[in-house]
Amino acid sequence: METLFALLIGLLIAAGVFLLLSRSLVRVVLGLSFIAYGGNLAILTVAGLREVAPPLLTLRGPYMDPLPQALILTAIVIGFATTALLLTVALRAYQVAGHADVAAFGDNLARDPHAEDDTFADPEHQGPDRPDEPEAEPVPIIVRPRSRP
Amino acid sequence: MSAEAAGPVLSWAPLAWLTLAPILTPLGFGLLLLWAWPRRVQVGLALAGTLATLAFAAGLLWATSGGAVLVGALGGWPAPFGIVMTADRLSAWMSVLAAVSAVLATWQAAADPDPVREKHHLFPLMQFLFAGVQLSFLTGDLFNLFVAFEVMLVASYALAVLGSTREQLREGFRYIVMNLAASALLVVTCGLTYGVLGTLNFAHLAQRSAELGPNATVTSVGVLLLVVFAAKGALFPLGFWLPGTYPALPPAVGTFFAAVLTKVGIYALIRVFTTVFTQEPGLTSALLLGLGSVTMLYGAFGMASQREWRRILSFAVVSSVGYLAFGLGLGTPEAVRASVAYLAVSVLVTTALFAIATVAERASGTRLVRARGMIDFLPLLAGCFLLCALTVAGLPPSGGFLAKYALVRAGLGQGSALALVAVGSALLSSLITLYAMLNVWRGFFWGKHPTWMPVYRVPRPLRVAAYAATALVAGLTLFAGPLFAQAEATAAELSTPERYIRGVLGDGPVVIPLPPTTPEAP
Repeated sequence: METLFALLIGLLIAAGVFLLLSRSLVRVVLGLSFIAYGGNLAILTVAGLREVAPPLLTLRGPYMDPLPQALILTAIVIGFATTALLLTVALRAYQVAGHADVAAFGDNLARDPHAEDDTFADPEHQGPDRPDEPEAEPVPIIVRPRSRP
Repeated sequence: MSAEAAGPVLSWAPLAWLTLAPILTPLGFGLLLLWAWPRRVQVGLALAGTLATLAFAAGLLWATSGGAVLVGALGGWPAPFGIVMTADRLSAWMSVLAAVSAVLATWQAAADPDPVREKHHLFPLMQFLFAGVQLSFLTGDLFNLFVAFEVMLVASYALAVLGSTREQLREGFRYIVMNLAASALLVVTCGLTYGVLGTLNFAHLAQRSAELGPNATVTSVGVLLLVVFAAKGALFPLGFWLPGTYPALPPAVGTFFAAVLTKVGIYALIRVFTTVFTQEPGLTSALLLGLGSVTMLYGAFGMASQREWRRILSFAVVSSVGYLAFGLGLGTPEAVRASVAYLAVSVLVTTALFAIATVAERASGTRLVRARGMIDFLPLLAGCFLLCALTVAGLPPSGGFLAKYALVRAGLGQGSALALVAVGSALLSSLITLYAMLNVWRGFFWGKHPTWMPVYRVPRPLRVAAYAATALVAGLTLFAGPLFAQAEATAAELSTPERYIRGVLGDGPVVIPLPPTTPEAP
C-alpha cells in the first residue's frame, strides 16, 4: 500500500513539475496545485497507513492518528486561497500583457506578440541610460544650490 | 550542557498573553482599516497599530530578558498536544526588529500619498503582513510556522502586485510561483518530520531528536528544511527572484520586504538548527558555510553590476543573508552572537537605505543613480547615506563594522578550512560592497550637478523618515554595548536548548541561570 502511495505521490509531483515548466500561465497554476496535492498525500502516507478505527471516541480503538488529517485540511484550505490569488494575478497579467505566455514574462511582459523581433516595449531594454518615464510628471522645482567656494 | 539547579519557577500566566499580542494587534488594526476611512484616519490607525505592536514586542523583550521562556498555550492545551506561542530571547529580539521596521515603513507609506493603491487597501494589507511576520517569529510549532509563512506571503503576494504595473505583474508572478513551490516543499517536510519524529512542536522535536541521537533520516529532513528556508531567505541558488522582485514594489512596501522578509527565513534556520537538528551539525554547517560564501559574493558582485538604486540595494539584502548563513554555519556560540548582532544591523540599515533610495529617486526623478552633485541639494541625506554605506560595507565607526568584525573573528576562531574560505569571501564581499557604495556616492551625491537636470522637491515627511531610520543605524554604534550584551545572552540561550525545551514542556517556564558571561568588547 505504501509503495502504491509513494508511486502515486511521485506521479503527482512529476506531473506538477512538468506543468510548472510549461509556458502557459494557467498550466503553471495547475502544476502548483498538483504539487500541493502530492504533498498532502505524502503527509497522509508518512504518518502511517493503518487499518484502524477512525478517531471517534464512540468507536472501539485503536484509533487512527487524527493530526495528519488536520494538517492536510489546513494545507488544502491555504492552498485553495493561494491558488485563487495566483489565478487572479494570472488573469490580470493576461489582461495587461495580452497573452498568457510565461516565456514572455522572462524578458518582457509588454512585448507585442505581433511585433518584429528585437523590439522591446520594456524600459529595461531601452538602452542603459534612458530612465523610466515617471507615471505622473512632477513639477520641477529649480533649487539654487549653495555656491561652493 | 545539563540544566543547572532549577531556578525559581515563575508563574508567567499573567504574561502569557504577551506572546499573542504582537500578532493580534496588527490583525485587529488591519480589519479596522478595511473600512474606507478618510486618509488622515487611515494613516493614524496604521501608525497606531504599528506603534502598539512595537510596544508589545518591547514588552516581550523585557519579559524574556531574565532568561524566561514565555509560553502561551492556545485554547489551554498543554505544549506537545496543542499549538503554543513561545517567546524566548531570540523570538522577542526578532519581533522588536520587525516592529521597528514596520513603524518606519508605515511612516513612509503615510508620507507618500498613493491614492490608487490606498483605495485598494494598501494599509490593511501591510498590517496583515506585519501580523504574519510576528506570528512566524512567535510560534513554537513547525506546522504553525508554515501557516505563519502563508499568512505573511499571501499578504505579500497581494502587495507585490498591488497596482498592476507591467513590471510588478512580471516579477510578482515569478515571486509567487517560487514561494508557492517552496511552501509545497515545506508541507511535505512537515509531513516527513511528523512521520520521523512523531511531533511538530519545536521543543518536543528537539527532545525527540536528542533521544534518537545522530540519525540519517532526521538529518535528511533537516537538510530539506534548510532548502525550504534557504528559498524563503534567498540564499544563493534559490534567491534569483529577489533582485527582480523588490525594485518592482511600491516604495514603502519594498522597505519592509527588504528589511524583514528574508530575515524570517534566517530566523527559521536559526531556530531549527540550534534546537532541533543539533545531533549531526557537520553536513548542515558545511552547506550553510558554502552557500553563505557564494551568497555573499553573489550579492556583492550584483551590487557592483547594477545601476538602479533599488537593484543595488536588493543585492545588498542578498549579501547580508549570506553573512547570516555564514555566522549560523560556524555554529560556535561566538558566531551565533555575532549573527544576532548582525541581524539587528542588517534590518535597520536596510530599512534606512531603502528610505534614502525613495527620497533620492524622487529628488532626481529617475530610478537610475545618475544625477550628480545632489549633495548641494540634500546635504543631510548625503550624510545619512554615507553612514549607511559604511555600515553595509562594514567600516568603522559603524555598527556594521562591529558585527562583521565579530563574525570574521568567530570564523577565524573556528578555524576549519571551509570557515577560512568563508572568512575570505566575507572580506572580499565587504570590499566589493564598499566599491559599489562608493560608486553610488560618486554617481549621485558627489561632483557637480548638471544644470539641465531638474531637481524635484521631496515631501518633508518622506525625508524625515529616512533621517529617523538613519538615526537608528547610528544608535547601533552608540549602544553597541547593550546590543552585544543582548546578542551574547541570546547566543548563550541558543547554545543550551535544554532551557527552551524545559521552558515549553516543563511545568511552566523555568528560569535557569545562564552560564556566567563577561560581555567583552567585540
